[in-house]
Amino acid sequence: MSSPAPPGGQRTLQKRRQAQSVKDKQQKQTPASSRQAGFGGSSSSVLKLYTDEANGLRVDPLVVLFLAVGFIFSVVALHVVAKVTGKLF
Amino acid sequence: MAGFRFIDLAKPFLPLIPEVEIPYEKIGFDEKVVYTIISALIYLFTQFPLAGVAKDVGAGSVQDPIYFLRSVFASEPRTLLEFGIFPIVSSALLLQLLAGLKIVKVNFKLRQDRELFQTLTKMIAILQYFLLANVFIFSGFYGENLSVVAIVLLNVQLVAAGIFATLLVEVVDKGYGFGSGAMAVSVVATATSFVADVFGVTQFPVDGDGHREAQGAFINLTQSLRSSHKTYTSAILGAFNRDYLPNLTTAFLVVGLAAVSGWLQNFRIELSIRSTRARGINNVYPIRLLYTGGLPLLFSYVLLFYIHIGAFILIQIVAKNDPSSLIYKLLGGYSSVNNLLYVPQFPLSLLTPSKSLIENLTRQPLTAFTFTAFLVVSSVWFAVVWQGISGSSARDISVQFKEQGITLTGRREQSVAKELEKVIPVASGAGAGVLAVIVATGELLGLKGKGASIVIGITSAFALLELITVDYQQSGGQSALAQVLGAPGGGF
Amino acid sequence: MAKGNTQIERITEAPVEFVKEGAAFVQKCKKPNTKEFSKIVRAVGIGFLAVGIIGYAIKLVHIPIRYLIV
Repeated sequence: MSSPAPPGGQRTLQKRRQAQSVKDKQQKQTPASSRQAGFGGSSSSVLKLYTDEANGLRVDPLVVLFLAVGFIFSVVALHVVAKVTGKLF
Repeated sequence: MAGFRFIDLAKPFLPLIPEVEIPYEKIGFDEKVVYTIISALIYLFTQFPLAGVAKDVGAGSVQDPIYFLRSVFASEPRTLLEFGIFPIVSSALLLQLLAGLKIVKVNFKLRQDRELFQTLTKMIAILQYFLLANVFIFSGFYGENLSVVAIVLLNVQLVAAGIFATLLVEVVDKGYGFGSGAMAVSVVATATSFVADVFGVTQFPVDGDGHREAQGAFINLTQSLRSSHKTYTSAILGAFNRDYLPNLTTAFLVVGLAAVSGWLQNFRIELSIRSTRARGINNVYPIRLLYTGGLPLLFSYVLLFYIHIGAFILIQIVAKNDPSSLIYKLLGGYSSVNNLLYVPQFPLSLLTPSKSLIENLTRQPLTAFTFTAFLVVSSVWFAVVWQGISGSSARDISVQFKEQGITLTGRREQSVAKELEKVIPVASGAGAGVLAVIVATGELLGLKGKGASIVIGITSAFALLELITVDYQQSGGQSALAQVLGAPGGGF
Repeated sequence: MAKGNTQIERITEAPVEFVKEGAAFVQKCKKPNTKEFSKIVRAVGIGFLAVGIIGYAIKLVHIPIRYLIV
């Protein structure tokens, strides 16, 4: 029975190097989507657009809903104005 | 331009673009239901007629060239939502696809990059609203010789409606609602148009004698059976055959398609898994046939939309739909039908399913092949790419397995990814292919886009339902709404 | 010439391969049984109709407004 390989030495070094290069490769590979990076976003069957908060003009969701309804009524008003004045455009 | 990336285009606009706040605290189950439904309903309410459209639009002028794509994107002609959610969906799908294929460089690990990417998606959506609005304005779709005021007003209305649609979708996406805003809108709009087509009570004048018929096919049948100017046979025949308003044949076809897609949704392969930590704990991990749901079809329809809008620009705006022009001869033109629709002629008709099966067989027999082939090829390609980039690929799932301490029965942990790699891409591709064939069949039978929209609507509904079920179980079933409705909830 | 041939073969083989694999997959799939399916249909159908009816109610609000302004 041959003696076991001594600890350390060539083999272990090689193994370590291999493990290191695999790790490097994994780190270099940038994720292809925000879900792959682990931050929510579209999954295989759900299309998501907005998951992060960018530094834009922040608005409250309720404000969005009310403004949207307000916008529709302003279009209604536009119709009324067009009708009353006969010919607006 | 070293180091300049496509997403950097969004940088200067970052502070200008409205952005819905991320919720500070966890939104409860009931609140989510309310936010989702209210957002979708406001979207429906936005399908309101545009102000400033010329009165004489109709006979002889420019008609609707994309009528068979509309219901997929929840759009209605000559309303504020002329383009529906198309710009939102298309910019999201295309940008995520390009980023996944590494054509657009984004490092999703960096918050800064994710924000830029998201803002860019939104900007491109709004830009598309603006461009499409002007394509339609200058094609004469809203009337020839519009005044400058009218043009400005139409622009403002269409773009503002687009921005609001984007924000409504964002409210749901950001976590106030369930899953995806675009899909919620699509489900609600599809359901609404189905109800309107079958049970709609609105009356429309149908002939010169002042007779009126209901929009809903079923309501129309009951009305016709009771009316004095029709015999029973003609009433029943009319209910199944009329082509100016929804008829019962289409209604049954749509129900059939919905049932088939619901059935396919439950096709799955169950891989048996076991825990690596404890002995004797076995379970199954289902891989669905429709792994990517209805998204591949949505992508195919985005492509169709671009092709048809491109053709519309060339034929209508450049060549004025003039049969003697070169473009008309090369691409085909439009012929006006019922003073409502613009039906493309050969060769553009190759990608346009006709209004009825008979027309498809007699007038454009090639379309059956080209249209089906187009849908199948584009869907399958998208599905195979998408499963790899959307964070649910074989590798991602094997990582999840490892984290949760599970593995496939009879496999070493290391070969899990390889084993899944044999299943997932095949499932995605096959599922997308089957779904595309079903939609193509429905469309060739004359559903005018309703076939595609019901299939996308049903698959989206299932995807959302799954999220809702999970959420409901996580919230411990504490929902006042569920109690009111008497539902045990999350039954499956 | 030979190279061209193999390329063409590859192009025609890929879809055939895909169809074969796909068909095998669909055959292997576990299909929902009737009981399971009817349960799903009922749940989704009721939900779909309910949402549709609420949506249609909203659309009905449009009718008087349209009547007023046209």
